[in-house]
Amino acid sequence: MSPLPPNATATLKSVALKSGALVCGVADAAVFAARAPEKQRPDDLLPGARSVVVVGGAQPREGDWAATSPWVLQTMGTTERIQGVGRRLAQYIESELGYYALYVPPGTASGDTPFLSLMLAAELAGLGSKSLAGPVLNREHGFMYWSAVITTAPFESDRLEAEPACPAPPCREMWEREGTTPCLKTCPSSEGGCLSGKLENGRAVRTFYDAARCNTRVHTHWVGGFQKVLEETLNEPDRDRRKMLLYGDFFTRSLWAITYSSTNIAQCFECMRVCPAAHGLKEMK
Amino acid sequence: MSVFKLDPDVYKRYKDQVLELCNSFQRIDRPGLSDKQIAERLGLDERTVTEIRCVAERDCYSLDEWEKAIEFKRKATLEWSALALKRPDLKPE
Repeated sequence: MSPLPPNATATLKSVALKSGALVCGVADAAVFAARAPEKQRPDDLLPGARSVVVVGGAQPREGDWAATSPWVLQTMGTTERIQGVGRRLAQYIESELGYYALYVPPGTASGDTPFLSLMLAAELAGLGSKSLAGPVLNREHGFMYWSAVITTAPFESDRLEAEPACPAPPCREMWEREGTTPCLKTCPSSEGGCLSGKLENGRAVRTFYDAARCNTRVHTHWVGGFQKVLEETLNEPDRDRRKMLLYGDFFTRSLWAITYSSTNIAQCFECMRVCPAAHGLKEMK
Repeated sequence: MSVFKLDPDVYKRYKDQVLELCNSFQRIDRPGLSDKQIAERLGLDERTVTEIRCVAERDCYSLDEWEKAIEFKRKATLEWSALALKRPDLKPE
C-alpha cells in the first residue's frame, strides 16, 4: 500500500472541522495498551490498527445548562451530531486514502462496557484530560461529546495535553476554603453520591468512584431503569399493581428514552453542570 | 440452543468478589481487573465472569436508588438554575 500523502493528517483534521467537529486529534493506537483493558484496545477491534482519530463537539448550550428541568439536558445531549462526523471520517479515510477505518460504535461490548473508551481516546489524542468528576474536559471548550475512528492509516499522532482544564482556578480556591470542589460537593460518595477526590499540589486526584450508583443517575430512564421496573413488575402478583408499574411515568419515560436512545443515553449532568472548567457560568441576556 | 444462562448459585457465590475486583467501584490504589484477569484469580471461565459482572452491576442497587436519582437531579438542576439565572426563588426547598 502506498504511504500517506505528507499532508494527510492536516487534511483529515480539516475535513473533521468542516464536517462539524470542534476539535480533532490523533492517538497512536499502540499507546492504548498501557491504559486500556484487554478487548478494549484498538488492535483488538481492528487488527493492524495504527491510529485512532478522535473528534469532539456537540456540547450543550448555556440555555441547556440553565434549564430548570434535568430532562431537558438529556434530550439536548446530541451525541448523534458528533457521531455523524465520526462516520464521515471513516468514509473519508477508506475512500480517499485506501486504509481500513472502523467507526467505533456508541453501543456496548458487554453489559455496560464500551467497545473502546472514547474518553481515554480523547485524552490520548491530546484533546483534553480527565476531570475530577470523570469526563474528559478540553481546555478551550470544556465538556463535549466524542466520537472515534480506528484505522490502519499511520496518521501523525498528537501529544497529550500538557495542562489539564481541571481543577479550574475557582475550584482550587474552593478547595482551600472548604476542602471540597463543586463536583465533589454536588455528588459526594460520603452522602449517597458517586465521587470522592482531592486536590494535591494543584492537581485533581479522584480517589473513589461508584460506577454502579452513577449508572442509576446517568441511565435512570434507560436500559437499567427498564430492567429494574420489569423485574419489579414480574415479581408483582397483583394484576392492577402490575398495570400501575407498566403504565406509570417511570416506565413510560424509560421507553421514550430507549426508543430515542442516541439522544437520551446520558441523563445526569450534575457534576458537569456545576463545573467551571466544563462550561463556566457564562451570563446570557 | 439457548442464550448463555448464568447459574444463580454461581452468581450468588461470586457476585461480591467480582464486584470488588472489577471497575464498578474504582479506588485510586486498586485499579479494576479485566474479566479475564478476574476469571484467572477466581478459577472461573471468562464468560462466566462477564455474566456475573453484568448482572451484578445492575443488581447492586435496588429500584429505590433509581427513584432517588430523580429527586437528586431535580434538586441539583433547580439549584443551578437559581444560581445561573440569578433567580433565588427557583431554589428547591
